[in-house]
Amino acid sequence: MFKLLNIEWLKIKNYNAFIILSSFFALGVVTVNYIVFLVNKNMISQVDAAKVMGSFSPYNFDKTWQTTSYASGWLLLLPALLLIILVTNEFTFRTHRQNIIDGWSRQQFIHVKIVLAILTAIFSTTLVFITAFSFGLLSGSSFSTYGISHVGFFFLKALSYNMIAVLISVLIRRTGFAIGVFFIYMGLENFISQLLDVWSIRLRSQNNIDLGSMGDYLPMNSADGMLTFPENPLKSFAKGALPTDYPWLVLGLAVGYLVLFYWWSVNRMVKTDL
Amino acid sequence: MSILSLDNIKKDYGRVQALKGVSFNVPKGTVFGILGPNGSGKTTMLGIIMDILKPTSGSYKLLGEVPNENHRRQIGTFLETPNFYHYLSAERNLKIAAAVKGRGEEDIPRVLEMVNLTQRKDSRFSTYSLGMKQRLAIASCLLGNPEVLILDEPTNGLDPVGIAEIRSLIKKLHQEGKTIIMASHLLDEVEKVCTHVAILKKGELVTTGNVNEILANEDIVEVGAADIAKLKLSIQKLSGFTAIDIQNNMVQLNYPIGSVNLESINQHCFNDGVVLNHLLIKKKSLESKFMELTN
Repeated sequence: MFKLLNIEWLKIKNYNAFIILSSFFALGVVTVNYIVFLVNKNMISQVDAAKVMGSFSPYNFDKTWQTTSYASGWLLLLPALLLIILVTNEFTFRTHRQNIIDGWSRQQFIHVKIVLAILTAIFSTTLVFITAFSFGLLSGSSFSTYGISHVGFFFLKALSYNMIAVLISVLIRRTGFAIGVFFIYMGLENFISQLLDVWSIRLRSQNNIDLGSMGDYLPMNSADGMLTFPENPLKSFAKGALPTDYPWLVLGLAVGYLVLFYWWSVNRMVKTDL
Repeated sequence: MSILSLDNIKKDYGRVQALKGVSFNVPKGTVFGILGPNGSGKTTMLGIIMDILKPTSGSYKLLGEVPNENHRRQIGTFLETPNFYHYLSAERNLKIAAAVKGRGEEDIPRVLEMVNLTQRKDSRFSTYSLGMKQRLAIASCLLGNPEVLILDEPTNGLDPVGIAEIRSLIKKLHQEGKTIIMASHLLDEVEKVCTHVAILKKGELVTTGNVNEILANEDIVEVGAADIAKLKLSIQKLSGFTAIDIQNNMVQLNYPIGSVNLESINQHCFNDGVVLNHLLIKKKSLESKFMELTN
């Protein structure tokens, strides 16, 4: 696999889109968190609402892992977009065929793309870890690993986005069309998710049936559902009316969807004409 | 030993049968042409051999074994179009190809020189002309000096000089003992370059064998006389021809190449009381031979 990854590196290291999107993502993670950090430090903490919310500070060490993971999660579109471009490029240039002709197996071709998706998720998560740690130090609080599991949830979300990107690329093959389908799917899933959430609330309040937040059971939202902004006193007021959270179910579904995306991508690549 | 053996390969695209049970063997050390008009299934067949298409049924062997990616690494293949990363230079593209093939990079300058692309090795692939792209694809095939080459329409897009260079390169590689499988729709190319040929027509194998036997040219003799009915009767008594085609005002006779004697035909007809007003020998064109085989 190391040899295969080395070849992937030869393909992408001089590719402008790779350099630009990677830089945007890295800068974006730091910038977004810095903005949230500054807003909290200079504005929210100065108004009376802060007193109502108590000593809520999103970048103290007991919250920084969750805050950074949540805020950075919005930027995961960029690595997913990059993966779509990298994978669909192979189909556009027909180099997927040439790689097989020159001596890769179909399994090797798709697996190196999947490992690339995993590595991208690892790099994204490492960046978030470093950013969370740095802002934790900047906030002046004492070091704690409380809530560090959210960095793991961030990894899960990053991996889900990347695996969906690989799957859509393998299915659609054309760059522009694949990017379009990715965004349309995201929008559509969010819309359905919200309808399901409303239905969940009605079921609980009107029929006393608590199935949890069903919107979180969809592929992208299951990975999203684990990442929330740190709990604050205002949110707890509404808690009584909301369906119960089933984090283990959502986590299980997210992992299950990853297995599905993996199986579908490999199956598609191995069994169809190229 | 056969370099490639096909056993009843079939490929369907829905209702369309692209290959209808094709079987043949490619002997080692030959330049084996796969000849057929557009849409006859040549590229589909090579695609199956290279595992980018899945056959509907049938099997094949490469280098005498059930093929896998290791066999493909030992073969230099150029299929259909030059496939490279557009944003990378020729040299960087060849580095990727060499790495996929499991070959070292030290061979890259040699193959670039062979196809006259050394001067442009640092230019992006997207800036190349069609002919240069084609030559880069051939350079990629030559990486690591493989014993077997598969070339699909290798002279497409090349200018006359480029075509001549590629043909002489193929001949040179053949003299070095390499086996070359070449798909082409150009009869002239197959006749000039190949030692063996398989002819495909609408997904079916028409014939296969030695080029000299399959595409053997014939001499055609056209004979005409004022009394065409009498001429027909007289001509029937001649011997040595392989086919006869009686037309309205002329008779055409096919003879094995070099065996025709116009003087004896003239003498024979004259002795039969037929005075010829037209007697002409002409070579049968390869095109007509090809049409005869594929129609």
